[in-house]
Amino acid sequence: MKNNKIWLYLFSAPLILFFTVFLLAPVIIVFGTSFMEWKGFSGNITFIGLDNYIAAVKDPEFIVSFQHTLIWIVLQSTIHVIIGVSFAIIISRKFRGWKILRTSFMIPNMISASALGFIFLMVFNGQIGLINSLLRKLNLEQLAHNWFFDPSTAFVSVTVTWLLFAGLIMLLVLTEIGTIPDSLYEAADLDGASQWQKDLFITIPQLRNVLGTCMIIAATSKLKEFELIYLTTKGGPGTGTMSLPLYLYNTSIVQNNFGYSNMIGTVLIALGLILIFIISKVFKIASDD
Amino acid sequence: MKVKGYSYVTSIALISIIPFLWVVMLSLKTNEEILNNPLSLPSQLIFSGYGNALEIAPLGQYLINSAIIAVVSTALNILISSMAAYTTTRFDFKLKKPIVIIMSISLLLPITALIMPVYSIIRFLGLYDTKTALILVYTALDLPMSFFILRAFFLTIPKELEEASYIDGSSFLQCYGRVILPLTSPGMITAGILHFIFCWNEFLYALTLTASHGARTVPLALNYFTSQFAFDYNAMFSAVVIMIMPSILIFIVFQEKIIEGLTAGAVKG
Repeated sequence: MKNNKIWLYLFSAPLILFFTVFLLAPVIIVFGTSFMEWKGFSGNITFIGLDNYIAAVKDPEFIVSFQHTLIWIVLQSTIHVIIGVSFAIIISRKFRGWKILRTSFMIPNMISASALGFIFLMVFNGQIGLINSLLRKLNLEQLAHNWFFDPSTAFVSVTVTWLLFAGLIMLLVLTEIGTIPDSLYEAADLDGASQWQKDLFITIPQLRNVLGTCMIIAATSKLKEFELIYLTTKGGPGTGTMSLPLYLYNTSIVQNNFGYSNMIGTVLIALGLILIFIISKVFKIASDD
Repeated sequence: MKVKGYSYVTSIALISIIPFLWVVMLSLKTNEEILNNPLSLPSQLIFSGYGNALEIAPLGQYLINSAIIAVVSTALNILISSMAAYTTTRFDFKLKKPIVIIMSISLLLPITALIMPVYSIIRFLGLYDTKTALILVYTALDLPMSFFILRAFFLTIPKELEEASYIDGSSFLQCYGRVILPLTSPGMITAGILHFIFCWNEFLYALTLTASHGARTVPLALNYFTSQFAFDYNAMFSAVVIMIMPSILIFIVFQEKIIEGLTAGAVKG
């Protein structure tokens, strides 16, 4: 058993190597170069302190991207979570056909976000779109327009591509509901509680931990949201649907302004840590692992 | 109250699948019919769009690239996370705690924030625009998820069998190969399916790290279509169906395993 020690390190080495090269080193580069001016691979790297951060506060496109990202985080961690939780509570009664409903609800989560974005581009298309065709059928022609390209509807249309599809949240909650002891419900039945009362006073309080996890997953998912915006509006019209991940992509890969884009990356990572901290505190998530 | 609940879940489920059913329907209609009446059922079923989709765009090549990348990365990702999950659930050693902590932090890292450094590391390694680049990056980015799914699985397996195998004189490697791998294969399949879907669907890193048909993957074909296919709706919708079908079929067939994996991986975060 003595030479096991070597094996333990050898077995952990590949994971540590991959982590170091593709996760740890990138995080260090993102943070470190956010204090540098670095334009293009051949450009010089100069230390400029907080200049990128100061420039961001004065950059209207950064400000608007930041605001949109925050709005989407708030919507996602409330409405999206509520839809997932309520769906799970209702189908947890396992009536006939509940599995079909569960599968259908999961499908938008299982396909690539790029395909989903593209499908929604077609659903909201001005000419052949599903929405406009329905409106025309209902003689509401005056409401039909190009949803993603009209500044008054672009933001809402983009939000629709993810807000309702809470399949993952539903699954997490459904699994948790399965672990609530039956005895709790039996006691409530004896007291003559209605289904609605049981949901409100037994199920929901038992879900506290998983609700916190769901809110963290929902909130942080908007810190990486890229495809669904890129393939529908590309952040437009103007900056109408611009977000931090998209702005980061534009400043780094398109404009090669690496120092500035890594400042945005640092902001995203910091926002993630802040969100996780706040939500864990609010839900008092026990850290037992 | 009951009826309201049922109609609520039914309508959400319908909203979730109607766009897909509509796209499948459009892939079977002529361009003329799509333009004139996008809502009607096809008057006759047209399958030529599927052939056209594979011919016009390099979709065939992209499908092969995606399959190679997803298969190789899945093997690599699962092997690496299984080895680390094994050591960190079964033994006490100095790296155990640090590994679990760094993996749980990485699980919620917004990976979009890392595109620029990953792009420069890949260029530094001379791997820009290769399948290898995507294989390595996908393997790394999804390690935390697979690691926690496998850990959850390892924790449910009793230690007695390993101990018996050690008493019989097995070495560390023999025990891992003959006892652990077979016992944990259900967990590896679950984590593997999820990682395969992750690779199949990933868009941003594929967009950033590749430039030519030799390395590009299926999700990028969509970019191609919006310009090339602008007037061939029938082929365009067929292409979308070809793209999404593998994920949907894998999900429907392996549903229970996927659900088990998703909940195990996510709750750890």
